Amino acid sequence: MLTIENLSFRYKGREANNLKNINLDIQEGEFVLLCGRSGCGKTTIIRFINGLIPQFYKGKVEGKVLLDKQDIFEIPMYELSKRIGSVFQNPRTQFFNVDVDSEIAFGIENQGLPRKQLEQRVQTTINDLQLEKLSGMNLHDLSGGEKQKIAFASTYAMDSEIYLLDEPSSNLDNESIESLHDYLQILKNKKKTVIIAEHRLHYLLDLADKIVYIEDGTIQNIYTSELLTALPLLQREKMGLRALDLQTIKIKNQKPAQQNDPVLAIESLSLFYKKHCILKDISFKASYGEIIGIVGCNGVGKSTFSKALCGLHKKSSGKIFYHGEKMTRQQCMKISYLVMQDVNYELFAESVYQECCLGIKNPNKKMIEETLTLLDLMQYKDVHPHILSGGQKQRVAVAVSMICQKELLIFDEPTSGLDYDSMIQVSHLFKKLSSLNKLIFVVSHDYEFLCQCCHRIIHFDDSQLVHDFFIDNHSKELFKKILKIGGSYNE
Amino acid sequence: MKKDLKQSYGLDPRTKICLLFLCVFAALVAPSLKYEFCLVVMICLLGIYQRVTRYALISFLIYFLIYKTTAILVQINGNFQVALIAFLGLIHKVYPCGILSGIMISTTRVTEFITAMYKLHIPQKVVIPLAVMLRYLPTIKEDMGYIKDAMYLRDVSPSFLGFFKNPLFTAECIYVPLMMRALQTANELTVASITRGIENPVKRTSYIQLGFHIRDIFIVICFIVLTCLCFI
Repeated sequence: MLTIENLSFRYKGREANNLKNINLDIQEGEFVLLCGRSGCGKTTIIRFINGLIPQFYKGKVEGKVLLDKQDIFEIPMYELSKRIGSVFQNPRTQFFNVDVDSEIAFGIENQGLPRKQLEQRVQTTINDLQLEKLSGMNLHDLSGGEKQKIAFASTYAMDSEIYLLDEPSSNLDNESIESLHDYLQILKNKKKTVIIAEHRLHYLLDLADKIVYIEDGTIQNIYTSELLTALPLLQREKMGLRALDLQTIKIKNQKPAQQNDPVLAIESLSLFYKKHCILKDISFKASYGEIIGIVGCNGVGKSTFSKALCGLHKKSSGKIFYHGEKMTRQQCMKISYLVMQDVNYELFAESVYQECCLGIKNPNKKMIEETLTLLDLMQYKDVHPHILSGGQKQRVAVAVSMICQKELLIFDEPTSGLDYDSMIQVSHLFKKLSSLNKLIFVVSHDYEFLCQCCHRIIHFDDSQLVHDFFIDNHSKELFKKILKIGGSYNE
Repeated sequence: MKKDLKQSYGLDPRTKICLLFLCVFAALVAPSLKYEFCLVVMICLLGIYQRVTRYALISFLIYFLIYKTTAILVQINGNFQVALIAFLGLIHKVYPCGILSGIMISTTRVTEFITAMYKLHIPQKVVIPLAVMLRYLPTIKEDMGYIKDAMYLRDVSPSFLGFFKNPLFTAECIYVPLMMRALQTANELTVASITRGIENPVKRTSYIQLGFHIRDIFIVICFIVLTCLCFI
């Protein structure tokens, strides 16, 4: 159905080829998983199939992509869009409407279907994907996972032959990943062709017919699920692949041998948002060097809690003590730093070095250089922060926090959309910070990552702190249960 | 309830554009301050009718203050007055159009807008960027929230006072991340829309029914009457 022949490509302004001589044959009804490290060319292949290259992203193309023997470069975008549906990574920037129903209808409206059919298609989509609860709601009120469901629904309503998904799970919690899996199962049952580029492999193993491993713009190998599972773990880790089965993940970081005295104490903290109580009566203590994972479903108040720790949330009651002293909001801002999921928001300056001096009256040159060396950023000292990769930007933010002598670091979803290597790098960074006696909180859904580096887990549910435990082999089962690991697809 | 959703409660986007033109014209030729005051009252009433009550009332209050200040200033003499009157005169011309645009942007759904534009036979090359922009505007508010948080943590005050003390620096801290984000958001939105066939030249249909109602005609007539009053 879809044939890629000797395809090479270089993005405009790049020196090296992003794709090198790709050959791939995709049959009708096949489920193809593209995997490999970040920047290996997965997304580029997806962009070729939905026509974004060369029509939207420019560059130098060699080779051919054929859809039913027709050259894909000669088919206009809107014709392609009837046959090929795409779902992207970021749920925030995929929707155009305010309400769910018109959003589902957006694609088929563009095709100019008569009104009767529009209504019918929207209704079948809602029934097939079990979206009754969301129908009629305002899209801005939905969680990331729910938005991603609607983005999928809008494509589903167009009834395409080929579905392309580009890292659809990066921003989702485990429950939403499970729904995504169910949706993909529906497509597979309907014999649709699915092509998905993804880092998280565990939820796709039972669906994928073909797993294409890409490295440096070339196809290294094509596996079946069985063949990939049969590879030794060490080799898969070397290939930069994430865990295939979350059940077997081992806990790498156990509770620190010597327990420091608690430095931070939170006493009956309640947080409000527009008169709603988001979190009620939170109390716990924490000491330097601890890495604490904050978990819970989307929308349970994890972000509000992290903002409150930084003194950025106004409506709260209760007390935060630091070194036994009660902290005001302003004082909290002085000691803590939030590394946001989208680090772009907190990078202001023209170079990494200037970023580190920003807002400081007499910057200590030696200390800045030491910090940059510690975080492997010295060679990027004069580079504009926005050119750096996601992981490097994160490290710049960490460098800033260290130079401002912040002691409480809060990370919001630091591993969303990261491959295995980068995830390991983040966990090494955390361990380094922990040994420097920082207190680290990390908000995350990423089980594999949390097992890598966290000492302790705090679980919010139903606007309360329901669990607070150290991760070890005893608490592992509870931990899995909280993160809803072990859904239908793992059995 | 669900039937309601498919019906657009607001005005047709074409009506809104027509109103905007009328408003620009009326503000331009406005013969007196009182007349402009009436225009603003009218626009705010429209805002209340379009269910953006809070926005309409706040806009009205601000205008009321400007209006009163101008009225007082007119009675005092001096050079200072001349400069201020010129400045306030400009505000009086721009402000009504500003409120009306605000009402338009916050009450128009993107699909409605695209369908209406196509019905007016406006070319795609104009409609698609405008649609992406319309969708992008509300995200600025969200982005600003994050940027302000980041600034507080860096000990840079995003407040008015901070801006006053160090205007260039504060502006840079806001604009750099905002622009970076805007670039990315616009890109992603465009990609999401063209892969869903927004460029399809067939006649676009609409899930939400669009059309002129009596309310559209009534409101346009009201504005036309108000505009004509200039010449009496």
